[in-house]
This record gives sequence, C-alpha cells and structure tokens, in this order.
Amino acid sequence: MTISRRVFVKSGGLALFSLGLDPLFLARAAFAVRPSAGPSDRRILVCLFQRGAVDGLNMIVPHGDPTYYRERPRIAVPEKDVLDLDGYFGLHPRLAALKPLWDSKTLAAVHAIGSPDATRSHFDAQDYLESGTPGVKATPDGWLNRYCQHDREHQDTPFRAVAFGPQLPRILAGTAPSLAIDDLQAFGLRAPQPAARDRLTRAFEELYAASATGLLSTSSREAFEAVQTLKRLDPGQYRPANEADYPRGKLGKTLLEIAQLIKADLGLQVAFADVTGWDTHVNQGASEGQLAGRLDELGQALAAFTRDLGERMGDVVVLTMSEFGRTVRENGSSGTDHGHATAMLVLGGAVNGGRVLGKWPGLDPAQRFEGRDVAVTTDFRDLFAELLARHLGARDLSAIFPGFTPDPARFPGAIRT
Amino acid sequence: MKTRIVWSVLTLGILPVGIAAQQPALTPQDSAFHALNRLAYGPRPGDVRRVAADGVMRWIDRQLSPEEIDDHRLAEREGQFQILEYDRRDLAAMYTEVQRERRERKLAADTMADRDGGSPIAQRDKRLTGEFAELAVVRAALSERQLYEIMVDFWTNHFNVYLAKGADRFLTPDYIEHTIRPRAMGKFADLLLAVAKSPAMLFYLDNWESVAPGSVPPAALRVSARPIFGRRPGLFGPMRDSARQDSMRRRALEGMPKGINENYARELLELHTLGVDGGYTQQDVIDVARIFTGWSIERPQQGGDFEFHDWAHDRREKQVLGVGFQAGHGMDEGVRLLKMLAGLPATMHHVSWKLCQRFVRDDPPDGCVDEAVAAWRRSSGDVREVLRAIFHGPDFWAPDNGRAKVKTPLEFVVSAARAVSAEPDTSPRLAQVVARLGEPLYLHVAPDGYSEREAAWVNSGALLDRMNAAVALATGKLPGVTVVLDSIVGVGDADQVIGEVNEKILGGAMSENTKQVLGRELAGISDPIQARALAVGLALGGPEFQRQ
Repeated sequence: MTISRRVFVKSGGLALFSLGLDPLFLARAAFAVRPSAGPSDRRILVCLFQRGAVDGLNMIVPHGDPTYYRERPRIAVPEKDVLDLDGYFGLHPRLAALKPLWDSKTLAAVHAIGSPDATRSHFDAQDYLESGTPGVKATPDGWLNRYCQHDREHQDTPFRAVAFGPQLPRILAGTAPSLAIDDLQAFGLRAPQPAARDRLTRAFEELYAASATGLLSTSSREAFEAVQTLKRLDPGQYRPANEADYPRGKLGKTLLEIAQLIKADLGLQVAFADVTGWDTHVNQGASEGQLAGRLDELGQALAAFTRDLGERMGDVVVLTMSEFGRTVRENGSSGTDHGHATAMLVLGGAVNGGRVLGKWPGLDPAQRFEGRDVAVTTDFRDLFAELLARHLGARDLSAIFPGFTPDPARFPGAIRT
Repeated sequence: MKTRIVWSVLTLGILPVGIAAQQPALTPQDSAFHALNRLAYGPRPGDVRRVAADGVMRWIDRQLSPEEIDDHRLAEREGQFQILEYDRRDLAAMYTEVQRERRERKLAADTMADRDGGSPIAQRDKRLTGEFAELAVVRAALSERQLYEIMVDFWTNHFNVYLAKGADRFLTPDYIEHTIRPRAMGKFADLLLAVAKSPAMLFYLDNWESVAPGSVPPAALRVSARPIFGRRPGLFGPMRDSARQDSMRRRALEGMPKGINENYARELLELHTLGVDGGYTQQDVIDVARIFTGWSIERPQQGGDFEFHDWAHDRREKQVLGVGFQAGHGMDEGVRLLKMLAGLPATMHHVSWKLCQRFVRDDPPDGCVDEAVAAWRRSSGDVREVLRAIFHGPDFWAPDNGRAKVKTPLEFVVSAARAVSAEPDTSPRLAQVVARLGEPLYLHVAPDGYSEREAAWVNSGALLDRMNAAVALATGKLPGVTVVLDSIVGVGDADQVIGEVNEKILGGAMSENTKQVLGRELAGISDPIQARALAVGLALGGPEFQRQ
C-alpha cells in the first residue's frame, strides 16, 4: 500500500473507503490526521532522556497537597518558591525559564506517568522505556527505531534519526538507519588538507563497503553518507538566532546542534539525547541544591532552543522522559530512592500546553503504588503513541508498540487536535 | 563474517584430548591469534609466532598464574606514575584544597579561575587524575600478565564506581589498587566482601549513610539536650537553652542521615550477585539494606577507611530470600549475607554468564555457562578455575566464535597500540582516545559498568572516530605515544608493505578487497614512509581490526 500521507490528509481519509481499505486501518489512521503547522514531513520529535530517574514531584510540584510537605520535611520546595501553574501544581523555581512557554500554552506536563512494570531497577526500567515493551526484555529494537521502520513515507536521509552522544542508545537500536553524533563539528575523518581528507574518506569507505559485516557494515554506510552531507553544511559557522543563549555544558551544546540540524533541512525527524544527573539518593536539595542545578540547566537549555528555533518550533515537539520517579517520602540521607511514576514535559508549537495532563492519583499512602510511590495512571506508551500519531503522523502504532493496543481515548492529550 | 581459518585436528596436539577429539581445531597460528585476542589485548609483533611455537594451551595456563609471570618492564613503567605514590588520604587532602581554592576564587569573582588551568595544586590534581586513567591503558598495553589485566577490567566494570561522584574522585585509585587488583584472580567471595567494605563503593552506592531509622551517632547525643532526647544533660554540664544553641543542634541533626538507603542493597543483588532475574523481591532489597546499616566510612571527606557503626545498625530481625538473620549480630550479618550470596546458584550463573560473554561471544552459549558454573561449584568460586573451564571448553574454540566479538574502545585502542609496539608515556593521550571513542575510564555513571555488547559500541560516529584514532596512531600524531614502525613493517614496495601489515597486524585476515584498496592508495603516494604509515592506519581503522 503506497498512499502518501499528504494525499491521505488532503482527502480527509474519506476517499480511502472507495479504495477498499479495511476499517481497522482507518480507525488507526483517524488520529494520524493532525492540525495545521507546516508540511508533515518537516515535523520533528526531540526526545531528552533524563537518565537516572528524575524526581517528578520536585520538578512539577504538587504544592497544593500538604502530604507533599509532610513527607519531605528537608527537601520539599517551599510554597513561597514554587512557580504556581494551576493552583495545585507548580514549577520548580529553577525551571523559571520555562514559565513563559507555559503561559503561551506551548508547554504541558504529564504527571503520574510511567511504566506498567513495577521494576525499580534503573537498567530494566530504562530498557523498557527504550524498547517500548515493559516487562519484555527480548525486544531487539527501540521504539523510535521501530517508528522509522514502519513509517516508510519519510525518506531515510542519513539524518532522519540522530542520537547525540558517543553511543547509539537502545531506543534507536534496530534495522532503520540511525546516526550517533557526539560532536557535529568533528564528525568525519580528519586530515590537514581537504584533498587528503577526501582521499582518506574514500579509502575507508571502500574498505568498509566490501569487508565489513553486520553492524559494522550498516553503521559505516550511514557514517559515510552523513559525512558527505555535513561537508556541505559547515557546522562551525553556526550562530543561534534571536540571541538565544544556550547554557554552557553538554545539554546546551547538544540542543544547539539539534537546532542547527533542524534549520539545515537535512531531513531530521527524530532526535535523541541523554541528560544525566537525576539519581538523587543523597542531598537532593529543595529550591536550591543538586536537583535544582540540573533543572536549571534543563530549563535554560530548552528556553534557548525554543528561542533559537523561533517559528520553526511550530514543527517541533520536545519530550522529556525518565525511567521512573522517586519515593514520595524523602529517605534517610535527604534524598529520594527509586519510585514509580514521574512527570514528563512536552513542549512545542503543536502542544496542548498550559496544563498538567494525566489523572492525578494523589499522594496519600492508600493511593500510592505499594504504599510508597506515586502510582502510574498514564502508561508512557500512551503518550509516546500520541506524539508519534498526532505529531509525526504514525499510523501503525501496534507495530511500534507490540503487545500494546494504543487507544486514542487514553492519550493524555498533549497534542492539539 | 567469513572465517578464513583452516580447521585441522592434527595441529592441536596440545589441546585436552576430549576437546581435540570432538572439536575441529585451529592452526597453531590461528589459535594463538584467537587466544591473544581474547585472553590478551591483542598480539604484539611476534606474539602469534611465539605463542604458537610454545603451544597455546601452555600459554593459557601460564596466563592463569599471573604471579609467576615476570613483569619487571611494566613495574619500571609504573614507577613513572606519581599517582601510585599517593594514598587516598593524600588525594583527599589535595582534593579538599582544590575545592577550597575554587570556592575562594568564585567568591572573589575570579572569572579566569577555570580558564588558566588553576593553581599549581589544581593542576597537580588534574594531572594525577589523567595519569590514573592512562595507567590502566599502559598496564593493559605493556603487561605480560595480559589475562590478569583483562580480569581487572572485567571486575572494574562488574563492580563499577563513578570517579566523578564526590569522594570517589579520591577513593577510586585506592579501590582499584587495593580492592580490585589484588583479588582479580582469586575467590569471588573475597572480592565481593572487599568491595562491600571499600570506601569507594560505600560512597558510590550511598551505603555509608544508610542508618536504622531513629539512630543517632554518639557524638550528636553528647551535644544534644533534654528537649530532643529526653536525657539529662551529659558531659558538658547543665546546658543553657539559648536559641542559638538550639538552632545549631537542630541544624547538626538535620544534616544527619535519618534512615535506610536502598541503593547498594539493590545493586548488590541485581548487579554484583544474583542478577536482575535472581528471584529477589522489594522486601528482600529492604532487608538487605537493613543488614548493611552501619557499614560506613570513617570521615569520607578525608579519605578514611571502612568503619562499622554499631549505633547505626538496625537491631531487628531480617529475612533475605527466605533465610532468617537473627537480631543483634551487627556487622556479622552482612558478612554472612555476602558469603551466602556468593555461593548461590543465581550468582554463579549470573557471573559465569558475564565471563562467557566477555571471553566467548556477546550472547554466550549455554554450554559455556554450564561448564563455568560447574567449575565454580567444584572450586567454591575460584575465578581462575572458572576461567580455565571456559578456555578449555569447546565453545571458546568453536569456529563461529572466532572474531565474533567487536572490540570495546579500550580493547581497540590498546590492541592498536600493541600491534604497532607503541610506547605511551604518563600523559593521558591514549586514555583520552579511549574516552573519545565512548569509554572514559572510571566514568561510567551507572553501576552496571560498560557494556560487552557490540551494539553499545558500533555506531556511525564512533566508527569514524576509530578510523581517526587509527590514522593518528600510525602517523605518529598522538603526542605522548611513540611508535616506531620500522620494527614492524619495513619500507618497501606496496605489495611487500601490505603483506607485512596483513601478517603482523591482522593475523592474516586481510580481505582481498582490503588488499586492493590499500594497493591503490599506496600507489598514489611517492614517499615510502608516508605510504607505510597510511597502510598501517587503514589496517588499524579498517573493518577487520575492529573484531577479535
């Protein structure tokens, strides 16, 4: 079946009845039709993985609940510091850079979101979040890669799926081409003169083309394609727009490079990066301190990214995600231990912003998961599926999340419809 | 991958009879090459020939007794590393001083503080940290005790700590030198206990401040007063309850740990021993954490030693995996638990599986694991007997498992350095290359350690970086690393150079295509020295050399 989504969108889906397509397909496809904002093949999803389990309760603070303050005498964010969002939830003060985005309704939070699997192991939980198959370890690929495998309408440019970092993460592992870039400027072979560089590149390309096997073969092919493209881009010359001021550090640099790739129109559709430092077992801090420092960098970097991209943010959605949340009650060392549900942020022009989405289970011990952690009321796959369907236009969600039947009725409603 | 190895039963008279009979065998050269790639960080020029002539099984047996291998050349090189002259207290004092200076400079709004490389002491601190990573690479490259160095790397990852986490900055060198290295080829239970008591691990996984709820250190009790603890004023006589004293007291107590921290307990079960499917529950994790309450560090910020705090220990009964731990046995409870965990089938299986993954293939064959577990049982967890079982087993020598593993960045860099007889100095150049390729040593933040799987390392960006590193090494562009190609590949015509590169660097595995590409590239270069460097660079950066 080769019907381009553009045709589909134009015809509103109705024309397809006459083509004899099965109704199930249409039911799945119905929510693929998404609102305005630029041609669909320009839409981009940026995923930031807060690896280490971010404390959702100190990021999006339930300051309206006295239990929160009772359970966290040393690390609760004081009422006076919280940036109120809706009378009950508030932003951590060091996320202040994101408040204007909330006010302009391009930032939403999904609370009490997580995995249906109960594991409190970082590694299992990260694995499940990336494979998109909680409880099933044998899944060979990641859900972002499966999206690229199954959405064949988008061209597989070398830059369609890019992970920023020295390693290709599990979430992008799989048969669809994907790229790992640690430093955009240094990507490629180095030699004193361009002619020597080109020769070296060609020689290695030929070595790998004929003799490499397995992963060495596919990865090298992707590498050399990307090198050819970047040769024309000249990333060293990039200057952010609108006086966007990215914070120093890895996250700022990564988001700057993502912005650059987006503006270069190289076919980037899925970008991924890790943000570490959330495993706050000890001295987590409240308005200030360890977690505050990490949130500050996150907020500043996302604000700069939004400013830099300007109108282009209409095509972009940024998602933050984390493997699980942390205990409601602070632990013995002024930190928090591994918990269950957490909060995720969704940001961008198409976002149904200015609200905390998801069903809030409450913090009372009886409402908690196993009596200690925030309960999961939104399966993270419902949010991921919504972004893939309503933002990127994915159709075959059950192939992307095997063993799971995504249901638009359960989507948290992060994308405007 | 096409195995170009000629299997022949005849040539391997040295293999144990049972194995040789059921298993096609490699030529002596090929089996030596395979063993040098797995039990060592790849062959140096001449190694394959020497090991093949001597008998590969004899070489393996020698590697299993590292204490009997003379390693004076490495010992001399180690003498150049100043980091080994500092103990953890020295390093702690230096670190504290650097932090103090940094704070002062910040207060003085000295914006140059970070840019000029800092004060002499800050520079020394930085240099020693760089030396420490380089030392691991130098040992891997130069030691005659190759299998031992591989096992040090294995345990360093199995019992991972993160150098950049607070006190681990100065506790990690001591951990590697005195906890991991002396026990890398001993009994697993001894290593497990030593790790549990090491300040580096206690700090990394937060156990040092895991205390029974409600426990208070004796020192805090002495300064505290009636209103809080309902005691009579102690040593310091009647206390005036001034507001100031009150708030000082409260602040001192607020900073104290208030209860258990599950971090170490969970990783002990999940990563160090049973494995994530080892059949434990959340309640087991909690009870393990309770057993280890009080396992702490005397003055961690000063690089202090392990200390058991009886006052912090949970005095109630505990139960782990259905086994009761009677109340009131203090530190012995933890020792007993560690011994128990070390001998459980799940632990044997989990650790054996990881060893087979390291030495045989990413998805280890069941047979390899079974034989390793059997050896574990027979020897009560003697690591060298487990290794011996793996190296004598048919899976290790199976044709499909030859060159089945992609080198990790550390393995790639060290094997490349060995292939060209590189002489690294104490500057952190080679360690920096390893870091750039994705494996900064001692800097894996999560407790699972670096991965053995090829998917973790093979990606487009990392491959290009490997090619760059290979060319830089071959052309002598890595400062601090001396490479003299004359001793490996002579200067000659293209065919001659390619032939020698194939034999000495790729163990004869060079594909026809690689030969052709090299031939063409070399033909365009008039300077024979440059041509040779290019041939070596392309070989080290090419696809054949990425596998082992």
